Amino acid sequence: MTLQSGQRFRPFRCLSARCSVPATRRRLLGRVVSQWLPLSLLMLLVVLLGGCHSEDTSVPTDDDPLVISAALDLDVVAPLLDAFRQAYPQIPLRFEDRTTREVDDSVVGHLEGGQATGEGASRAPDVVISSAMPWQMARVNEGLARRLGGPEIERWPEWARWRDEVFAFTFEPVVMAYRLDLSRHMLPPQTHGDLHALLATQARWLSGKVTTYSPLSSGVGYTLAQQDARYSSRFWELVGAMGRADTRLETTTRAMLEGLSQGRYWLGYNLLGSYAMVYAQEHPEVIVQVPRDYSLVLMRMAFVHRDAPHVEAAETFVKFLLSQRGQRVLAGQTPLFSVLPGVTGPYTAARLRTQVGERLYPILPNATLLAFVDPARREAFTDHWRARFQGEPALDEAVERSSGALAPE
Amino acid sequence: MIEVEGSLKRRLGGWLVVTVGVLGLALMVEAWVSSQRAAARAFDAQLQAAALTIAEAVRWQDGVPQVVVPAAALQILATDSQARVFYAVLDDDGRALSRNWPVDIPAAWQQALDEGGMSRDLTTALGELRLHAQRVASAGWVTQLPVQVWVGHTLEGRRALARSLFERSLSRFVAMVLLTGVLMGLTMRAALSPLRRLRRQIRERSADDFSPLAARVPKELLELAQALNHLFARQRQGREDLLRFTADASHQLKTPLAGLKTVSELGLRSSDPDEWRQALTRVHARAEDTSRLAGQLLSLARLRHLDQETALPALDLGALVREVALDWAARERAAEHDLGLGSLPAEPLKVRVEAWALREALGNLIDNALRYTPRGCQVTLHLAREGDWARLSIVDDGPGVADAALATLGQPFQRGGRQDTEGSGLGLAIVDTTARRMGARVQFANRSPQGLEVVLWLPLAKDEQGVTGALDAAANQ
Repeated sequence: MTLQSGQRFRPFRCLSARCSVPATRRRLLGRVVSQWLPLSLLMLLVVLLGGCHSEDTSVPTDDDPLVISAALDLDVVAPLLDAFRQAYPQIPLRFEDRTTREVDDSVVGHLEGGQATGEGASRAPDVVISSAMPWQMARVNEGLARRLGGPEIERWPEWARWRDEVFAFTFEPVVMAYRLDLSRHMLPPQTHGDLHALLATQARWLSGKVTTYSPLSSGVGYTLAQQDARYSSRFWELVGAMGRADTRLETTTRAMLEGLSQGRYWLGYNLLGSYAMVYAQEHPEVIVQVPRDYSLVLMRMAFVHRDAPHVEAAETFVKFLLSQRGQRVLAGQTPLFSVLPGVTGPYTAARLRTQVGERLYPILPNATLLAFVDPARREAFTDHWRARFQGEPALDEAVERSSGALAPE
Repeated sequence: MIEVEGSLKRRLGGWLVVTVGVLGLALMVEAWVSSQRAAARAFDAQLQAAALTIAEAVRWQDGVPQVVVPAAALQILATDSQARVFYAVLDDDGRALSRNWPVDIPAAWQQALDEGGMSRDLTTALGELRLHAQRVASAGWVTQLPVQVWVGHTLEGRRALARSLFERSLSRFVAMVLLTGVLMGLTMRAALSPLRRLRRQIRERSADDFSPLAARVPKELLELAQALNHLFARQRQGREDLLRFTADASHQLKTPLAGLKTVSELGLRSSDPDEWRQALTRVHARAEDTSRLAGQLLSLARLRHLDQETALPALDLGALVREVALDWAARERAAEHDLGLGSLPAEPLKVRVEAWALREALGNLIDNALRYTPRGCQVTLHLAREGDWARLSIVDDGPGVADAALATLGQPFQRGGRQDTEGSGLGLAIVDTTARRMGARVQFANRSPQGLEVVLWLPLAKDEQGVTGALDAAANQ
C-alpha cells in the first residue's frame, strides 16, 4: 500500500490536500508552518520551556518532527493531516507511508540496533498506524504501546479499543469488485457462494482473470483469509476453486483495482472497500459489490509507541484522530469510515450499516488476533492454503477444523 | 449536687462504634483476603481452561508435535478485562514449538512441572504475570514426547474482580452498620422508655405524696424504684415522726401548763398568804419540771437537726463515764438509789464523739433508770471493749419493761407502758437520736430475774483500734 510515483490512483476530494502535502515521503511537512513568524517565536518559547523541564518529552521541531509510521495511503489520509496541522500548527509532522511489514519493522527497529530499513530505524516512531491488525495487536501485547487516557479515549467505543493502548479507528468493508464487462457474460456474484459457483461453472472465461490478496506475502491478505476461514470451512473450497481458476495474487488493493480498470482482471475478491468505493466513483468500468451473505470489515489500528520521542505530541495526534473533529474529517473527506457514534458524513460505520445491512462482520481488536501471528499457526495455515490453492485435497483437517472454530454452521 | 456525666445514648453509641470498628476491621481484612482468593481462583480456572484448549491443539505431523494455537484459547486467556496474554508450548527439552513468550521460563520450573499442573507468579518488564503450566502427554506413532503448555496473563482482571468483590462486601457492611445504627437508636429509645415513664411519674408527684411508686419497670430499674420507694417510706416516716413529736410535745407542755394555771388560780382565789406561798412553791416546782421538759425537747430537736460533720478529737470514754457517774452520784435525785460503777477497762477507750452529746445521752440514761425504778434499786454503769466497739451499759434491777414495749422505747413520749411516772418520755428518744448521730447503737434488754439493761455500742476511733486491740484481747482472756 505504499504510494509509488507515477500511480494514477487519485482518491476523490484530495485536491485541497495536495497543495499543502508534499508528495515525496520524507520531506519535512512542517515547513509550511515555519513560514509564520509569530508561530515560530511561539515554538521557540515552547522549545526553551520544554528544555527546562526534561529531554524525553521534548516537543517536535522541524529537524525532529512527530513521526507517524503508517500503512495508510498518504493521499487518502491527507485531509486528516491537514486538519491536524491546522489545529496544532506548532507540531511539525512527518507521515511515513509504508507497507504493513515495514511498519511492523519500524516498531521494533530501534530495539534491534538499527537493522531495519529506513532512516527512522535508529529511533522509534511516535505513532504507529497499520491495517495488519494481528501484528498491531501482537506489538501492543508485547507492551510496545502507551496507555492513553482522557475524554476522547473514554468516548471511544469499547469494542474498538484494546487496553486503552490501541484503537481501531476505521471501518473498512472488504468487498468484491468486477468489471462491468463481466455482467454481459454471466450473472455477477453477490455472495461467497455465487463466487464459488461462478468459478466452478465459468472456469473457461475466468481463468487468469480473477485476483485476490495474497495471504502468503500480504499481512492484510493473510488476516482476511484467516478470518474467512474462521467464519466458514467452505472457504477452503473457494480457495481450491480460485486455484483452479488460476487466480492472480496481489499485495495491494490498488494493484487489483488497476488490473480491473485496465482489463487484466475481471473479478477481484477481498479488496479493501475504502479504496475500491472511491476508485469506482471515478472508474465506471469497475463495480464494487459488498457480499450479501457476509462482509468482513477491517479496522485500521493506531497506537502511541512506548518509546515515542515526542510522547505529548503523539498523544495529541492520536487523541485528535479519535476526537469528534478528527472523526468528522475522516467521515467527510476520507473513505475510511468513522466508527464514532454521532459523527455524520458520507463515510460512517452507521451509514454503511444502513446501506449494506447487518451482514458486516468487523475484525475486532481482541486477543484472538494474536493467534494469527503465531509462527507455527501461520506456517500451517499458509501451507494449507498453498496446498488447497494448488489443487491438492484437504491434507490438514486440523487446520481447517481449528481455523473454522467460529464457523456458524 | 447532680452532675451530668456523659449520656447513656452517647455511651452506647460509642461502644457500638468501637465494637463495629474492631469487628469491621477484622471483617474487612477477611473480605479483602477472600475476594483476592476468589478472584485468583476464578482467573486461575480460566488459565487452566486456556492451557487445556491449547493442549488440545497439539497434533503430530511427520513425527514431531506441532501446535496450531486456537484463537479461542487466547480470548479465554485475555479475559474480559483485556489482559496481556502469553503462551508457550515447549517440548521436554525446553525447545519452543510455539510461543509469544517475552521472557525465559525458569528451567527449575520446567523440570518441576508434572501432570498435576503448576501455577506461579512471575515479575517481568511487562508487570506481574500469573502463569499456569500443564504437562501434556502426547503420543505419535513412532515417538512419544510430552509437551509443556505454559500460559499466562497480566493481573488487571484479577485486580478488577477482587476490587469489585471487595467493594461489594464493603457496601454490604456499610449498609449493615447503618441499619444497625438505626436499629440501635430505636432499641435505645425503647429500652430507655421505662426510665422516661419513671421520670414523668416522679415529676408529676405532689410534694406531700409519699406513697410507693406504682410502675412497671424492667429488672434493671427495680433496684432504683425500690430505693426510691424506700426513700419515700423514710420520708413519710420522718414526717409522721415530726407530726407526732410536735403533737406529743404540745400535749406534754399543755399538761404542766394546765397544772400551773390551776395552782395559780387556786392561789389567787385565796387571800391567805400561806396558801399563796404554798401555791408559789408548787408553781415553782411545776415550772422547774416544765422548763426541764422544754430543755429536753429543745435538745432533742437540736440533736435531730444538727448536721454538720467536723473532725472531732478522740476522747477517753472511761474517764467520761467515771466523771458523769460521780456527777450524778452527788445529786439529790440519786440519793435514794444505789448508783455505782461496774467494771471499767484498764486501758483508755478512745471514741470520736461530741462530749456534750455523749454526756447528755449518758445523763438521760442514768436519769431514766433513777426515774423508772423504785427506791433502793441498784443502777450500775459498765464499760467494756468488744472488738471495734465500746460497750457501755446501764443496768438496773428494777421492774424492767414489757417485752412488747422494748422495740419502741427509743421513740419520743413512750414510757415503756409506764404512764404513771413523772418522766416526759423524751429521755430515751434523746439517747437514741444522740446515738444515731454518733454512729452508735442502743440496745434494750430485760434482765433476769428482773431489771433492764440499756447498752450503748460506740464505735472506737479508727486509729486506736490497732494499738489497743492486742492489749484488749489479752485483758479479756
